[in-house]
Amino acid sequence: MSTRVKRFDGPDKVTGRAKYTFDINRPGMIWGKIVRSPHPHARVVSVDLSEAQRAPGVKAALAWKDPGARALYQGDPVAAVAADTEERANDAARLVKVTYEQLPHVASEAQAMAADAPKVFEDVVMGAKGNTKAGNTDQQGDLEAGFKEAAHIVEQTYATHVITHVCLETHGCVCEWDGDKLTAWVSTQGVHGTKDGFAQGLKIPASNVRVITQYMGGGFGSKFGPDAQGLICARLAQQAKLPVKLMLDRKEEHLDTGNRPSAFAKIRAGVSADGKLTAFDAESWGTGGAGAGAQFPLPYIYQFPNRRRAHTDVYINAGQQRAMRAPGHPQGCFLTEILMDELADRVRMDPVAFRIKNLPEGAPNRRWADYFTAAAKSFGWDKRHPTGDPKPGPIKTGFGCSAHQWGGGGRGGRAHVDIANDGSVVTKCGTQDLGTGTRTVVAVVTAETLGLPANQIKPEIGDTMYPVCGASGGSTTAASITPAIRIAAGKALDQLFSKAAPQLGVTPDMLMAEAGRIHVKGNTAKGMTWKDACKLIGTEPISVDAEWEDGLSSTGTSGVQFTEVDVDIETGIVKVKRILTAQDCGLVVDRLTAESQIYGGIIGSLNFALFEDRILDRVTGQMVNPNMEFYMLAGMSDVPKIDIMIMDTPEQRARGVIGIGEPPTVSTASAIANAVRNATGVTIRSLPLHPHRILAAIEQQKAGGTL
Amino acid sequence: MAHKNDPDKPERVNVSRRSFLKTAGVSSLAATVASVTEAPLAEAQAGPAVVGPGEVPVQLMVNGKRLDLRIEPRVTLLNALRNRADLTGNKRVCDRGQCGACTMIIDGRTAYSCSTLAIEVQGKQIRTVDGLSDGATLHPVQQAFYDHDSLMCGFCTPGFIMATVALVEKHPNATAEQVRKGLDGNICRCGTFTRIFEAATSLKGVARG
Repeated sequence: MSTRVKRFDGPDKVTGRAKYTFDINRPGMIWGKIVRSPHPHARVVSVDLSEAQRAPGVKAALAWKDPGARALYQGDPVAAVAADTEERANDAARLVKVTYEQLPHVASEAQAMAADAPKVFEDVVMGAKGNTKAGNTDQQGDLEAGFKEAAHIVEQTYATHVITHVCLETHGCVCEWDGDKLTAWVSTQGVHGTKDGFAQGLKIPASNVRVITQYMGGGFGSKFGPDAQGLICARLAQQAKLPVKLMLDRKEEHLDTGNRPSAFAKIRAGVSADGKLTAFDAESWGTGGAGAGAQFPLPYIYQFPNRRRAHTDVYINAGQQRAMRAPGHPQGCFLTEILMDELADRVRMDPVAFRIKNLPEGAPNRRWADYFTAAAKSFGWDKRHPTGDPKPGPIKTGFGCSAHQWGGGGRGGRAHVDIANDGSVVTKCGTQDLGTGTRTVVAVVTAETLGLPANQIKPEIGDTMYPVCGASGGSTTAASITPAIRIAAGKALDQLFSKAAPQLGVTPDMLMAEAGRIHVKGNTAKGMTWKDACKLIGTEPISVDAEWEDGLSSTGTSGVQFTEVDVDIETGIVKVKRILTAQDCGLVVDRLTAESQIYGGIIGSLNFALFEDRILDRVTGQMVNPNMEFYMLAGMSDVPKIDIMIMDTPEQRARGVIGIGEPPTVSTASAIANAVRNATGVTIRSLPLHPHRILAAIEQQKAGGTL
Repeated sequence: MAHKNDPDKPERVNVSRRSFLKTAGVSSLAATVASVTEAPLAEAQAGPAVVGPGEVPVQLMVNGKRLDLRIEPRVTLLNALRNRADLTGNKRVCDRGQCGACTMIIDGRTAYSCSTLAIEVQGKQIRTVDGLSDGATLHPVQQAFYDHDSLMCGFCTPGFIMATVALVEKHPNATAEQVRKGLDGNICRCGTFTRIFEAATSLKGVARG
């Protein structure tokens, strides 16, 4: 544990041998293609499949929406076809004749909230009516008294934009029926949940469904069930009586597989003359598309003793949001952290000192004060200049910081360990590896328990034939599966001890497993090799099931980030020069893959700050950039030096396994934005930090206004 | 987000007017559609045989082995190998030459195989990630990616590996700047850039493949 173990599936992935869902080619397999609404809002008048059905190679066709049903966004599925080649399936899809009655649409939060706006929902659909849904109002303390205590008040509107998940492997599956039994290879974050989703959607017993996900090309919170494309694929396969592959193309992926909702907040916040936060009053809103919420925590982390926050979800004619890597937190973090730097300037305090002064009381899952102090020292924060780089020339340099938190932790799960008489060990777990290194974690924990090298363990995951585990979301996988594996492997080892003990003339409780041997505690010479011990097992392998128990995992992580940027105030281009994070995650299972997760989260958040933006045309409601050229993502030259301080102090190690997939992706964007503010002296209160927006903000400041 | 075309070696379009007519239809997907209707006219005037639109024999040299396929002329190299030859190592991600996951090496140069027609690269030496390792022995670039944990979900990895192979074959001691520029045509979503950079800059003196 906590060492650097190389990724188990590394060789399979670097050679191309790893078979992802997209790579599954079954005998006789044909290709499915979905026909989608080109309109952001329309009523389906008719769906005519006849010409498509007569097209060369077509084996199946179906209408997904009935006449009269509405398409609520561009890309809403309407019909589907399957043909013997992918090219012919695409041809046939173009021959499906759908007539639409176009309806008025709303493509932005402002349009949707206008008094005379067309309605996304005319009737109550999915609990939503009209274009808005007011949430609860959170309130604490005495707001009026809080503002009276304030020496300074900042009142501004802050916002973050919509981005999409851009999983490199698009959503999709291969469905194959054998009589009434379905086998589905699905690119999913939850094999067992997806199995249940197929059973419910197809109205068949769950025991008739097997879902397999050996490898998957990214999910980030967007892949939790069969979705429409899964059910469509299964029905096409049923109709054609052949296996069908249906993988979405890049445009469909942008339009219909989720996104991170936008976030807006009009905030009024007060601070006392000595730098204590006194009051926070916010109206917030955001859109998760057609019918999904846009929740986010606000204020984030820092303690406002008197506060009120009212939130409204706004619906627009766009694909629904889905959880995206630390859902809600990057938004709440940005809205709060930009405000914090503004407040710090009002009281002329250093941003780090100001933050430390307003943190909640310390706890094992709230170590920001320690991390700010340690990371600031390592980063060289003392070299920060006050807001606005005074040096002449167009390149301005700035420092920024921010803090974040995340839950993680275990949610239950099962595991099975087999030890055979040839010494081989197989750990089976119905979890899945999103690229986080789950397969490696399974092996490392089994190996640690049995005193073996990790490469001697065969981890088997990604199949509903294995014991039930939850979906991989909320950074819960490691903390959910490792306790079950630890317990199963421990029980299996106890059984092995009871076989070996008589041979060694001791009782089982006197034995331990270490470095590939079973020996008497305190007497390494008195023992036998793992292989010799396993020879005593007999023909029936040792076979143990176990379930997650509390005590080996915890929930709650904290972390801070620092960035340094260069901003060219003539071009508006931001270049991030370096990023430093101090991050805890309890007990580190594999230091190598844990660091990779942190790098990945930080780069994801850099994308959120500087590059990504789902652009909907305000007039047509069409996505302008449903590709990977104009939907921008960082490349190698955009990625700065990143330094990681994993805070695995004795206190953190004692907490057990927590999970690290999401926390690091929360606050980089905020730290970058604060560094841009520190460099330019201009506060940009919304993302993304695209060059034209930075130039506009600089111009507006010169003109005496703000963005 | 940079183009992967090597400025040192501009792509030569060395065709006569006659052969231009013959290949115009395969230079891009959009143009292929046009060629279906225009080709007969071109043939009447200039004489070349019409290819397609149905399946035609296409012979490819992939990883040193000959592949005989029957595919429509519009089929991309990537789809031909993935869908017809079960060579699924290289991935389809953007399908528009923007992300690099499909990067193959054709006659020594990197190419986006999603934006290359199979019929266009007959007679050329095509290398994919599937043919890179020698049995159980990883290619030095694959080994470096494995050692440095330069992959997470792994979907961009085959393209990055092929781009790195091409880079180190050209610059056996690539500088940090050459690594950045050489790999700028590839996109990773999990955020493995830091680790890929470590792997690529660790490679010194890798032999030509």
